Amino acid sequence: MIEFDEKERRMVLKLVYYGPALSGKTTNLLQLHDLLTRQGRGELMVLDTSGDRTIYFDLLPFFLTAPSGLKIKVKVYTVPGQVCHDATRKAVLQRADGVVFVADSNRAEAGSNVTSFDNLERNLSLVGLDIDSIPLVIQFNKRDLPAAVPEEEIRTTWDPTGIPVVLASALNGVGVSETFAVLAGLVYDRIDARFALAATHGLTRERFIAQLTSLKEEP
Amino acid sequence: MSADTLHFVVGEEKKVRELLLDADVIPLLKGALAAGASCARVTGDDGEELWGACAPAGRGELIRTLPLLLEGEPVAHLELFGAPEGRERLEPLASLLIVALDTVLRNSLKRVLTTEIHTSVVNSSHEELVAMNAELTKSEARYRELAENLELRVKERTAELRRTQAHLLQQERMAAVGQLAAGVAHEINNPLGFITSNLHTLQKYVARFCAMLQFYREHLELEQPRERLVAEAETKWRELKLPHVMADVGDLMAQSLAGAERVSRIVADLKGFSHVDESGDSVVDLNQELERTLTLLSHQLAGRAEIVKELQPLPEIKCQGQLPGQIFLNLIQNALTHAGASPRITLSSCFDGERIRISIADNGPGIPSALRGQIFDPFFTTLPVGSGTGMGLAVVWEAVLKLQGTVAVADAPGGGADFIITIPAGRN
Repeated sequence: MIEFDEKERRMVLKLVYYGPALSGKTTNLLQLHDLLTRQGRGELMVLDTSGDRTIYFDLLPFFLTAPSGLKIKVKVYTVPGQVCHDATRKAVLQRADGVVFVADSNRAEAGSNVTSFDNLERNLSLVGLDIDSIPLVIQFNKRDLPAAVPEEEIRTTWDPTGIPVVLASALNGVGVSETFAVLAGLVYDRIDARFALAATHGLTRERFIAQLTSLKEEP
Repeated sequence: MSADTLHFVVGEEKKVRELLLDADVIPLLKGALAAGASCARVTGDDGEELWGACAPAGRGELIRTLPLLLEGEPVAHLELFGAPEGRERLEPLASLLIVALDTVLRNSLKRVLTTEIHTSVVNSSHEELVAMNAELTKSEARYRELAENLELRVKERTAELRRTQAHLLQQERMAAVGQLAAGVAHEINNPLGFITSNLHTLQKYVARFCAMLQFYREHLELEQPRERLVAEAETKWRELKLPHVMADVGDLMAQSLAGAERVSRIVADLKGFSHVDESGDSVVDLNQELERTLTLLSHQLAGRAEIVKELQPLPEIKCQGQLPGQIFLNLIQNALTHAGASPRITLSSCFDGERIRISIADNGPGIPSALRGQIFDPFFTTLPVGSGTGMGLAVVWEAVLKLQGTVAVADAPGGGADFIITIPAGRN
């Protein structure tokens, strides 16, 4: 957690979209920005990119207020996926409250997924976070690809781990807010256990998720 | 490691004062004054003024208050004052100004974030590099130490090998001397044998002479008639076979003397060959050294090998006396070993004014060209295990080297090996 100031009644959370290069992390944020209501979120800030590639990170902030008046700011970041930006990934991972691992469904990218997941595990432990307890969601993106690994195969691999898996096609806006909602739920559970969001601040799980992921009205 | 080195945490909240500089804001506010506003200011969350610019004429009326957003949150407010009649003009100005401030703030945040993350990445990379450098330095030191030790070990081993080789060469010389000694012993034993046998015979003869003399002495005292004495003496003389003894004794003495002379000649040759009485360099004639070597080997050569000598007069050279003998002995023995049932060894020498050239050729099978590079190496031998030490030619090589000469092997005319030794001479 970035910040919890009881006097100021303010909490800042940090969520990170992790994953191999070109798996669609920034696309997820762009879609969240487009899909969710204007109210309760800030503007997407894209730090310098090189061509289409993220070299620092992207940031999309969300805001919500608990019935108690506690202001919660949720900062959602992406990391650069390319192997060479490992130090930046570590910096972004610091004090994260939850992670979405965006995997590439393309079978040819299976190796990159594994490498990047190993890298996540290692970097989490380097910044003092425990991969077994941190809220973690795996998104298998690019389901629209013809060469996508079958869902059955993904389930066989990941279901035993207990890590929730969401299938998505971020470019088409499919599964993006669902992924975010699953992570928000896990994060809520963890924060609630520590800070009694429901008991002290009257903020229920449903309300927390709903406020973060309320979709725009269809035009 | 990195957890300690990253002091900056991506996502930490920033205050508007950390992000905006006077130099960023004041010109914009002054610009608003120039565009007709009477006062423009930015206030913080708590209402306190952060930046402001007012015309001396006074503040005028508050025309517009607009929030300034940071990461989507209002962190400050812009207040624009002016004459009420200018409201129509000033309201768009306020909108424009807030867009400008917003843009400056957003870019400033981006700059701060990128700079901080860049710095932390650079720092952590730097620290990683420093750590890596330290590791490398350590391992380099380790390798250097290893390398130094290795050099030392190699030196030790080399010295050990040299010692062993020198020791073996010495042993080979001793072995050659031993062989030589066996031959020489045989040579000496022969004359010694007949000298001893002659002496035994002479001992018996002397006993008879003594008996005869005793007879005379005893019979003279008896004062017998002379005729009787003569007759008895004659009988005794014949009894003792003195006529035969008298005839033999001269031969025996002459033979023994000749034998003793032969022994002393062999000893002299051996001494000459080994130069045992000389220390340091001596002046030698290589032809003479060849002859001496042949003499010492005579028992091995006699009746078995044919020796052909084509020796031309040579200048004397100065060297350690025993070296030529070592060379010739080893080469001639080598020839005898390899030349087969009826060896013929051709020794030739010549002098071209600068160099002495000595050739020792045999009628054996010769040395295949593939082996010629190796034959002078220590331990190289074509003989079955146990038969040769492989040091004979190494001894030759070493001795020739000490004479500042060269030794090479060629094909002898009509087959066989021809060892050619070239030794510089003439200048001294």
